[in-house]
Amino acid sequence: MDIDNIESWPSITLEVEGPLVSHFFLLLQQGVTIRSRTGCSVASFLREEIGADIETIKRIQSVILDGSPVDDLESAVIKDGSVLALSAAMPGLVGATLRRGGTYSSFRSGITYHETQEECVRGEGLVQIKIFNLLMAELGPRLLQKGVIISSEDFIRFATGQSQDFWQGCRRITLDGKPLDAGELQDTAWLSGKGQIFLSVSSDKARA
Amino acid sequence: MDKILRIDMGADGGPKTSSVPLGQYAGFGGRAMTSAIVSKEVPPLCHPLGAENKLVIAPGLLSGTASAMSGRISVGGKSPLTGGIKEANSGGQPSQVLARLGYAAIVLEGKPKNNDLYKVFINKDGVKISVDNSLKMLPNYDLVAKMKAEYGEKICCISIGPAGEMKMASATVAFTDMELRPTRHAGRGGLGAVMGSKGVKVIVLDDTIVRGSTPGSPAVTMQMRVPKDPEKFKDANKRFVDGLKSHAVTGQGLPAYGTNVLTNILNEVGGYPTYNFKQGRFDGASKISGETQAETEKTRGANPTHGCHRGCVIQCSGTYNDKDGHYLTKQPEYETVWAHGGNCGISDLDKIAMMDFLDDNYGIDTIEMGATIAVAMDAGLAKFGDADAAIQMIHEVGKGTHLGRILGSGAAVTGKAYGVERVPVVKGQAMPAYDPRAVQGIGVTYATSPMGADHTAGYAVAQNVLKVGGDVNALKPEGQVELSRNLQIATAAIDSTGMCLFIAFAVLDQPDTFQALLDLLNSFYGMNLTADGVTDLGKKVLTMERDFNAKAGFTAAQDRLPEYFKSEKFAPHNVTFGVKDEDLDKVFNW
Repeated sequence: MDIDNIESWPSITLEVEGPLVSHFFLLLQQGVTIRSRTGCSVASFLREEIGADIETIKRIQSVILDGSPVDDLESAVIKDGSVLALSAAMPGLVGATLRRGGTYSSFRSGITYHETQEECVRGEGLVQIKIFNLLMAELGPRLLQKGVIISSEDFIRFATGQSQDFWQGCRRITLDGKPLDAGELQDTAWLSGKGQIFLSVSSDKARA
Repeated sequence: MDKILRIDMGADGGPKTSSVPLGQYAGFGGRAMTSAIVSKEVPPLCHPLGAENKLVIAPGLLSGTASAMSGRISVGGKSPLTGGIKEANSGGQPSQVLARLGYAAIVLEGKPKNNDLYKVFINKDGVKISVDNSLKMLPNYDLVAKMKAEYGEKICCISIGPAGEMKMASATVAFTDMELRPTRHAGRGGLGAVMGSKGVKVIVLDDTIVRGSTPGSPAVTMQMRVPKDPEKFKDANKRFVDGLKSHAVTGQGLPAYGTNVLTNILNEVGGYPTYNFKQGRFDGASKISGETQAETEKTRGANPTHGCHRGCVIQCSGTYNDKDGHYLTKQPEYETVWAHGGNCGISDLDKIAMMDFLDDNYGIDTIEMGATIAVAMDAGLAKFGDADAAIQMIHEVGKGTHLGRILGSGAAVTGKAYGVERVPVVKGQAMPAYDPRAVQGIGVTYATSPMGADHTAGYAVAQNVLKVGGDVNALKPEGQVELSRNLQIATAAIDSTGMCLFIAFAVLDQPDTFQALLDLLNSFYGMNLTADGVTDLGKKVLTMERDFNAKAGFTAAQDRLPEYFKSEKFAPHNVTFGVKDEDLDKVFNW
């Protein structure tokens, strides 16, 4: 995925009735990409790029950066190409083990994230975000409204899996800024092989 | 709950029952009761399927009371799978009902002299045992339907499926849930085979009493057990429930998604054993995650938020419907979805749900069965990802074909039969859904638990609350051994109360909730139990269990993970299990 090509990707926007935004949440667990600042701490990224406030960050009990659990949000640095996964508190001993800074963090010391970058290279890049469980509803609407990059294949799977009720609840759809009929979006053949698309979803819920 | 029901299945003239006082077992419940009776009365060198072994079924100390979360029930005996002592516990209705009927335990002893199959009926009037060979080889769902037709809808059942009758080492003991479905299982260690060896197919419990003396008077369930100090008990229960409901895990995460909420995060950290423990990530994880599962259930009119017994406020269970909206099985748990899913390379939730149903119906441990299928796939019996072949293997077990007999004996036996080196077992029992190379601390518990590889053995409470063994420096390597020790002690104690282990999350984080738990026990029994007392109980239980295993021939050599965990690097982190043997040997030094 090349940030220089981003302007050439198809851009789809949807305005949906409030509850329908939850239909997009399962895309978040697979991972979506955003264009964002890099070279900043995870804490700063959560605040400024994801829009998480202090209370929300407290509820983000497990933070996984490039496959490794993070204990210190201030020292771990987001880079171009980073994969960041976020989870609320999880059950079980392993759930407790994966909590940041928890009593049982030593249980997974072999895979814990340790920042190796001595100097932060500030810039812009693409970061993949995965949002799990209760955080999907908490962080999802704002992130989706801001816009995410997903593969056209993922969007095709999403679109073909939706019922007519969903499409009837789509108030406005645009492709590259031009209005599009829901039927045209359901016929996804034109998207096949397009690589990446930029998707923005807004709803009453997100706007509130 | 002041008596023990002993049923001698080998008595001259047929099974003989006796109801005896608690005696030396007073004050014990759940795992403490099962392990105390087994360690005291079962010869450690006996054959698990022989007359000398005993099957002990014991509700927890607070079962049958108004206390929330008190519906766990323990089953104990010498395990046909591990050859050591075993306690497996389950949710469902029978714990509450058995306790209200006044029994602190049922002990099945001896062995029938013929091949008759028995059913046991227990109500307020006593115990009836009768031969019923029409039940032979009935799967659990059909069996329960038959009991319902015979005894009515207010019963609950403890039963075995065909796997238990065939005395397979992966056989479970099933317990019915609130809807009278056999969906809850004491799964681990093959205790269903011990029940099968006693010739008991089903124990039917009925705690109804008729209110009024006129014909047609309504049947109602017996009253809850009465605490010594009802006011303090009520107050403690309120604080306990408030604590559970206010905690993020017990109040939100588990009710919304169930235990399968763990799939995504375990996969993300690379600790999700995939393709028979070959790698830590599964490409299809998001297709079988708790989030996807809950959405699927809602879309099909099923319920992702449901308790496994009355009095449950966490509601981590649920129901799973097929594509046509018909009930297929209860919501498959994380361990089941992993065992039949990622571990076998299968990412079809409907097929996994079908396997969950078949396991419940035939009475097979889902973890052992899934791990066994993965070993069989490694042996070339099927390709990883072939869900239909996996389903067929479970049918082979249920039918008792020659292949099914091997598979039903568990992963270790299947590995031997087919010459597979990568067999993820400890003490003969298959590992659950967390790779010990990625999460090394849990590997310490897998290796050293008297139960064999068990994810719940070191699950519970709060070293920082209990202060077991003093303050632990979790940053030192030896901290993993110390934490595992403390967790095993705490878990043994919680298992003895009959409380659901999931209370541990709230107790872990909220000392007030832990105090409420102590207050529940103290106000009910008029005791003065403290955190130290809980610790002592846990140590006592583990000591009994370790002593039994030592006499059964276990040495330090059994407290080890398979060698390949030390040498095969586990992707994506390329880690091996690094805790030294001499450190493992220190786990039970207290």
